[in-house]
Amino acid sequence: MYSFHYRRPTALNEALAVLHADSEAKMLAGGQTLIPTLKQRLAQPTALVDLSRIAGLSGIQKTAEGVTIGAMTHHADVARSPIVREVIPALADLAGQIGDAAVRNRGTLGGSLANNDPTADYPAAVLALNAVVSTDHRSIPADAYFQGLFETALEEGEIIVAVEFPQVDKAAYAKFRNPASRYAMAGVFVAKTAAEVRVAVTGAGQSGVFLWEEAGDVLASDFSPAAVDKLALDPSDLMSDLHGSAEYRAQLVKVMTKRAVASIA
Amino acid sequence: MALEMTGSYDLAVPREEVWRALNDVAVLKRCIPGCEELEKVSDTELKAKVVAKVGPVKATFRGTVTLSDLTPPESYRISGEGEGGVAGFAKGGAVVRLAEIEGGTTLTYEAEAQIGGKLAQLGQRLVAGTAKKLADGFFKDFAAAVGGAPAGASAADAAAEDGGEAAKAG
Repeated sequence: MYSFHYRRPTALNEALAVLHADSEAKMLAGGQTLIPTLKQRLAQPTALVDLSRIAGLSGIQKTAEGVTIGAMTHHADVARSPIVREVIPALADLAGQIGDAAVRNRGTLGGSLANNDPTADYPAAVLALNAVVSTDHRSIPADAYFQGLFETALEEGEIIVAVEFPQVDKAAYAKFRNPASRYAMAGVFVAKTAAEVRVAVTGAGQSGVFLWEEAGDVLASDFSPAAVDKLALDPSDLMSDLHGSAEYRAQLVKVMTKRAVASIA
Repeated sequence: MALEMTGSYDLAVPREEVWRALNDVAVLKRCIPGCEELEKVSDTELKAKVVAKVGPVKATFRGTVTLSDLTPPESYRISGEGEGGVAGFAKGGAVVRLAEIEGGTTLTYEAEAQIGGKLAQLGQRLVAGTAKKLADGFFKDFAAAVGGAPAGASAADAAAEDGGEAAKAG
């Protein structure tokens, strides 16, 4: 009853063929969410399509605009990449704060983004940096990619190939993590370009990652922690659970925003 | 764990018509998120198969949907109860009220949901957001089904420990 097929294609086309032929087949990236879910029998796919042997899905490249990271690149590789450290050090810093060492060695960028857990770290960086998610057949800008709790612009069977992160003037990530799960209770990624400041918040919103536009606006004219002091984030759209109320999270988001700004102001 | 949600929609459709749709199996089937089967057992009892899909979790619930406290064409209570095998159980209900307004009908709902079993243990941090999303999904689809676009949708603040309406996701 709980058996399933295991496929490990070596080409993207093969993987797509399996996924399009069977709507109950699921992709397996790093398995940090999917495998525990299967163990609990909370999902029963007919087949797992392991993406780890497909050529060209992992690796980190410097580009004219910034850095392109393959979807199957592990968090640990992003964290210690000299290229990422040079071009967008805040992104390497974020990758180094995900979960624990075991999660960082197995978990992948593409897996995290496809799952879009409301408390995952990567969505904050992708949204704040306005990165572009490239899939097997198109490119999706971050603003159009995240669509709510576990919802993304991805179609059924669409595979993320890489993410293009543009270089910005300054960026920083500040995270208040749950000490047990190490998920973000509030994680704030601040990215500053000549044109604007984008403040993306994860771990706190009921519908997942979101842009705190009010904070971006005030920081665009005064990039200092004090500029955020006057603001109050409306808690009505924030998560409330046994770890913290929505009001508590609203305050955490503000403090994390100030910490991120203070580290690069 | 239990959750409570409320909301209201203004529909540009006469109350009688909204009431008819609320009792129409085909309309209900289209609007219940993830509903794959909905079969009439009697005038007020239905058999349902609903697939709940939240992130990596996908559970099939089989159960019943009951209509009670019928006061045509003003209000009724719609409730559902299902078993999701190893995933656990889910039950919920909503009191739906229809009020006549100029040019149409205002639909208000007070819904509550409860889940138990493995889903509740593992999904605790996600339950509030998910329940809200499902309730909103139902009434948004219902508003579209009875009269095109709603004249004015205003999902009100959620009650209880639940935060509120879905945040603006990036």
